[in-house]
Amino acid sequence: MPTHLTTLSINGQQSSAYKSTADLGIVRELYSPDASPAGAYIHIPFCFHKCHYCDFYSLVENRGREAAFVARLVDELRIIGGYLKQPLRTIFFGGGTPTLLETSLWQDLLRAINQHLPIAQNAEITVEANPETVRPDLMDLLAKGGINRISIGAQSFQPDHLKALERWHDPENVKRAIVLAQESGITNINIDLIFAIPGQTLNDWLTDLDTAISLSPSHLSCYGLTYEPNTPLTEKLRQGRIIRVDEDLEAEMYEATRKKLTEAGYEQYEISNWAKPHYQCQHNLMYWNNKNWWAFGPSASGHINGLRWKNVPHLGEYLKATDLPSIIDVEKLDEDGQVGEALMLGLRLTQGIKLIDLDALLLKGKQGKERLCVIDQHTQSGLLEKTADRIRFTAKGQLLADSVLSDLI
Amino acid sequence: MKATMHSFPYFRTQPSRLTAYSSGLKTPLHIRNFSIIAHIDHGKSTLADRLLQMTEAVSERDAKEQLLDSMDLERERGITIKASAVTVTHEYKGETYQLNFIDTPGHVDFTYEVSRALTACEGALLVVDATQGVEAQTVANAYLAINNDLELIPVINKIDLPTARPEDVAMEIEQVLGLSTDDCIYCSAKTGEGIMEMLDCICEKLPPPRKSEVKETRALIFDSHYDDYRGVVVYIRIFDGSLTVGDKVRMMGTGRTFTITELGRYTPTQTKSKTLGHAEVGYMVAAIKSLEDVRVGDTITLDTNPANEALPGYEEPMQVVFCEFYPATQTEDSGKKGDYETLRDAINKLHLNDASFTYEPIHSEALGFGFRCGFLGLLHMEIVQERLEREGGVEIVQTAPTVSYQIELRDGTLVEIHNPADLPDLSNVVSIREPIVKLEIICPTENIGDLMKLCDGRRGTYKSQQFISQTRQILDYELPLAEIIYDFYDKLKSITRGYGTMDYEITGYRADRLVKVNILVNNQPVEALSIICHRDIAEKRSRLILQKLRKQIARHQFEIPLQAAIGGKIIARETIKGVRKNVTAKCYGGDISRKRKLLEKQKRGKKRMKTVGSVNIPQEAFLAVLEQE
Repeated sequence: MPTHLTTLSINGQQSSAYKSTADLGIVRELYSPDASPAGAYIHIPFCFHKCHYCDFYSLVENRGREAAFVARLVDELRIIGGYLKQPLRTIFFGGGTPTLLETSLWQDLLRAINQHLPIAQNAEITVEANPETVRPDLMDLLAKGGINRISIGAQSFQPDHLKALERWHDPENVKRAIVLAQESGITNINIDLIFAIPGQTLNDWLTDLDTAISLSPSHLSCYGLTYEPNTPLTEKLRQGRIIRVDEDLEAEMYEATRKKLTEAGYEQYEISNWAKPHYQCQHNLMYWNNKNWWAFGPSASGHINGLRWKNVPHLGEYLKATDLPSIIDVEKLDEDGQVGEALMLGLRLTQGIKLIDLDALLLKGKQGKERLCVIDQHTQSGLLEKTADRIRFTAKGQLLADSVLSDLI
Repeated sequence: MKATMHSFPYFRTQPSRLTAYSSGLKTPLHIRNFSIIAHIDHGKSTLADRLLQMTEAVSERDAKEQLLDSMDLERERGITIKASAVTVTHEYKGETYQLNFIDTPGHVDFTYEVSRALTACEGALLVVDATQGVEAQTVANAYLAINNDLELIPVINKIDLPTARPEDVAMEIEQVLGLSTDDCIYCSAKTGEGIMEMLDCICEKLPPPRKSEVKETRALIFDSHYDDYRGVVVYIRIFDGSLTVGDKVRMMGTGRTFTITELGRYTPTQTKSKTLGHAEVGYMVAAIKSLEDVRVGDTITLDTNPANEALPGYEEPMQVVFCEFYPATQTEDSGKKGDYETLRDAINKLHLNDASFTYEPIHSEALGFGFRCGFLGLLHMEIVQERLEREGGVEIVQTAPTVSYQIELRDGTLVEIHNPADLPDLSNVVSIREPIVKLEIICPTENIGDLMKLCDGRRGTYKSQQFISQTRQILDYELPLAEIIYDFYDKLKSITRGYGTMDYEITGYRADRLVKVNILVNNQPVEALSIICHRDIAEKRSRLILQKLRKQIARHQFEIPLQAAIGGKIIARETIKGVRKNVTAKCYGGDISRKRKLLEKQKRGKKRMKTVGSVNIPQEAFLAVLEQE
């Protein structure tokens, strides 16, 4: 660990003392192999409509600022790129709606990443796409620019349920988007689906899964609808205008998902993620394996060796910066906190954590014994299980992951 | 309208036009001591104001609306909480009369205080609203006055209103109270119409004070209040002898002695006087620190020459309704003054002003530190809570009210408990007795059937029924107090669409088939959830409680049985299913900190809840159980 980091005594406290990543000193350390990021997350904060369940940072009606944003992002890529010596193995363009950007702006962006970032030979480079905004010229451009994975936010194939989420796309366009991506040569395709939408039945959900499977994507993310604070959806729930899907039904939907996708040849590798063999999302795995990555764009979160931060979630602020963007939520956990995070992340993977890694984690910090006790308890109650060389959630335990993890962190 | 507590508008010590009158009054024959009694909102306060104005005690310009109601709270609720006394003069047939007007609280919970105030009078104005007619409290207060041998003048007020029906109301008064329609005064406190006639009638019809019975001094305390500067101000009516500044006096009930530092009257500005003579009404200040040293109904006598016998009728205040107050938030920060301390200070301070409620510190495992308080009745409880919040600046969680029970033990002793949790071992208990009330309802005839159904469903015993007029009746019932303290009044109001009124009086304690119901969560009894109720409704109430608990307690990883039991017998059961799903789907685009914080929040939530048999019971669950339906 770089020596200057140990002098930070932040210990989970939010601090406003750091104006930008430049002040953390971390940038200068990116040369060193053990601080070097394995990937990059790039946030594109534009949407043409705000979905009612979404609490990611995004703006609508900002056509005028997109060019300025891309110019600033290109700057940021150039500056950080100058410090990166190890090749990146994953890059992920998330949003917002990255495919909303003009084709010409994408041209600038793709040129910048190829020019400024060191990218590994077989790197996975993903762009999140809204089915409505996928267009042939853009797909061709992305493919030529090195994008090899598309993640499509389908959420549901039933107009009623899309309406409940305030998502406005024609379900038919999902198929069209996949075909367009495939025609341009991008074959690694993910479909995002949401279950437990108000009004959805088990059969509705199984039909959605069948539709998704029939499009044969290489990867499927299935998320139970989460009611995030300060979203219109949660407000509607509070006002009683929508009814939350019953907990038992949601659990049944999840169990049915595991069964159906396994039968269809998808392997579950994380609580909400399934993939055809060899198509696991490398970027996602990087998060769960607690690797280092760099964050670009407003509101993007980065992580280097236990130090976490977030770029200021404000486009105006982001555009004002002349060097690196302002940051907030800087956090460097103590050893116990770091062990807790590693367990929280690693156990979400279906294969769990290697026993030798677990032992090493439990030796660190002061709470090793208590954590071991919690693990034994949950193993006994059938939520965790030990294989020859790993500890992992049981099928039942996956549904109760937060109950276990909140005891462990 | 912004008046601090007890800053009576007539406390200003400006020179009064009337300061000279006390020496001008020659003979006690011209003293008239009287009260105004009325149902809430029948215009008593407005009438009092008008009366002061017409006797020129207050100029129109100075007249504050409802002069005698002093506290903010009283004004807002439109009721009078504390009695006070005002002295005015009135010329009648060429003679000067000293009229001592003694104000009374208008609510059932203060029946004792009302009766003491009435004892200080020889007569009373019975005010009835010309649009509303006779109501439950009109009747209750009228009988109180009649029992005190007071001469009553029926006054029909608000005759200026278009919906007034004064003749009908006069008939009601004659029908119910036997006061002749010929004796009624018709007036409007608002316009002033009939007020002069009323004043003349007071002088003419109300009897003069009775003569002294003993040589020694005896003065009745009929009210008191706490003044930040002078200590307790005591309102008195002198029955025998006189009091002079400098006298050493003794309270015959409490035995405490004090030296008088000030005497006087409110005219309505405060007017000091060296002495108060026979039959007079006024105030006394004697460096009394605490209201607890002054009991309404007690007799003041001279320490050097005490009376043998006190004036009759003194009683200790009786608390019959109990509930617990907790601070709405419990500050964990040990450095700062906690919310519990703020509540304690507020209660101490309020108790200086109202010694008729009791309080003792308690600790509930569910709700933390707080106080169990006893009150004269339901309204008294509400008033205390509001005053604590308003004047003490604390936010309060109030548990549902319960009544006091008398427990008869095998060894013949009788213990009183205020909390089901305090019930002694049942093998030692012969019987559980509960307070019984005499309830009087006045309602439209068409609602009689529904109201009888309501009372019968509350273990009521029918007593009598009487017509007031063709359209309204009085219904008398006897019921356990426990049956009316929750929602009875609301039900009454909804059945009668607001037209029904009620009044009650505690008549004693009676044994019934009362049982203690224990609530078991995951097979463990939870004392804070136990209740005392009648055997016949135990199942129904238990089911309601369990259903509420089921909603309030989150699903756990295991199934949780909820049971209600009388002794070893389970009488109701519910089950909380095991949790099926608790997992965050998303990874928040790499915002790991956020995910971790969500889990930490869950972890803290687990810690904060009270754990019973490894079940986490949130605070809300304890409160929900205490609420009714």
